[in-house]
Amino acid sequence: MQKYIMNNNDKFVKLLGGITLSGVDFKSEVIAAGGEGITACYQCGTCSGGCPTVSAMDYTPRQIIRMVNLGMRDRVLSSRTIWLCASCYQCQVRCPREVKITEVMAALKSIAMKEGYNSNIANPRAVSFYRNFNEIVANLGRQFEPLLLLKATLGSREGIASKLGYLLKNAPFGITLMKKGKLPFKPVKIARGDEVKKIFENVAKMEAGE
Amino acid sequence: MSYAYYPGCSLEATAREYDLSFRSVFTALGLEFEELEDWSCCGASAAHATSKLLSLALPARDLARAEAQGKEVVAPCPACYQNLKQTREYVLESEENRAKLNKALEGTGLEVKGEVKVRHPLDVLVNDLGIEALAEKVAEPLEGLRVVPYYGCYITRPPGKESFDDVENPTSMDKIIQALGATVLPFTRKTRCCGGPVMVSNEAAMHKLSYEIIKEAKEAGAQAIIVACPLCHMSLDAKQPEIEKHYGEELGIPVLYITQLIGLALGLEPYAELGLDKNIVSTEKIVQKYSKKMVKAKAE
Repeated sequence: MQKYIMNNNDKFVKLLGGITLSGVDFKSEVIAAGGEGITACYQCGTCSGGCPTVSAMDYTPRQIIRMVNLGMRDRVLSSRTIWLCASCYQCQVRCPREVKITEVMAALKSIAMKEGYNSNIANPRAVSFYRNFNEIVANLGRQFEPLLLLKATLGSREGIASKLGYLLKNAPFGITLMKKGKLPFKPVKIARGDEVKKIFENVAKMEAGE
Repeated sequence: MSYAYYPGCSLEATAREYDLSFRSVFTALGLEFEELEDWSCCGASAAHATSKLLSLALPARDLARAEAQGKEVVAPCPACYQNLKQTREYVLESEENRAKLNKALEGTGLEVKGEVKVRHPLDVLVNDLGIEALAEKVAEPLEGLRVVPYYGCYITRPPGKESFDDVENPTSMDKIIQALGATVLPFTRKTRCCGGPVMVSNEAAMHKLSYEIIKEAKEAGAQAIIVACPLCHMSLDAKQPEIEKHYGEELGIPVLYITQLIGLALGLEPYAELGLDKNIVSTEKIVQKYSKKMVKAKAE
């Protein structure tokens, strides 16, 4: 029975009025992670109408908001939509209810990243890109673009063939940039990089509630 | 007043010509600046997607450094600009927020107070220098040059208390371009996202958005697209050959940074001072027509 409930989580969540079975209210979780105003949504769809990447999404931004409010946790976190959000803020500035939609999407990305959701076919490199971006900044204090592209690709969930395929496909682009002197060979390491490391540590501790 | 210049990571690499032309133009216009010493990455979209606190704590280090010097920050990359600006707004919002960010800075010896403003070069040019003062410095008016200004997302979005332009129809870049003697063509995609943030994770989505922007610019009869963002520039310029291939269509429209365009009108050296040879789509036609320095060099 428990297994049946878990597998049909979304249906039960609807019956239970938006309360997830784990006992945690999903919308409160999203609000706590930065997604302010989400309960004010009245489903007008202005967000979806202005969204530049909506055509590639599996659920529109309007649907995602409704699904969060209904507590459809698993389906939201497994969606392609959250990784296709370009954080352009078009939806947010036009929302008549002042829902911080871009912040909702960022909050959903952060929850999905923490829990290892990375199932989408549409964006195989998204999570790897963000993770490696942070790692390089933590180590050097600044971003180093060539290394990021390499690490983001190799660390993605794709098979080795498509990883290599992606790198090969992008090699001419890299060479073009290099010829123009726009791709540095050596990263810049800042003098007080320990300060940046410390910030990463502090944030991790604060978020763990220490 | 001198500004603390925050280049950001892109301006050290793929957007080198933005850094070069920013420095040359600000110097030529008598706007004093000094690079913020030992600055670190603002966290960009990655920190934002990882944790709200991280996305505020990383820029807080840079803000604290600028505050220690008492200088306003000028950040040409709109993503850096937004991150730093939003951090300042967050700090000023409440005592609680300020304490939280300073807790994240613990052990670094730094303290953030939200004392200095964060500015975009467009803001400084229009509101500190002023359009009239800029027009007076024009040595070689760009007469006959028809362009479209493309603002992208983060110059105006999300708006805050210290925003300097309209969120749906910004005009700061339009005014600058007109002051240089060039013509601004009507353009509906001024603030439509170029897809840059999903470039690595979903190429097709980026291609489509950038293609639509380039296509509209071409159909409007523009000779160049003018931008003020390194990621927009990468999507529209560096990725343009890829987009042409993808859509089987020749586009060939140069994409210039606003600082490169200003530099041309000020009569600065197009390559050494403005990096106009670093753009991927050739800027040669524009340089040859409008740079007297080039014409002279050729005659010699």
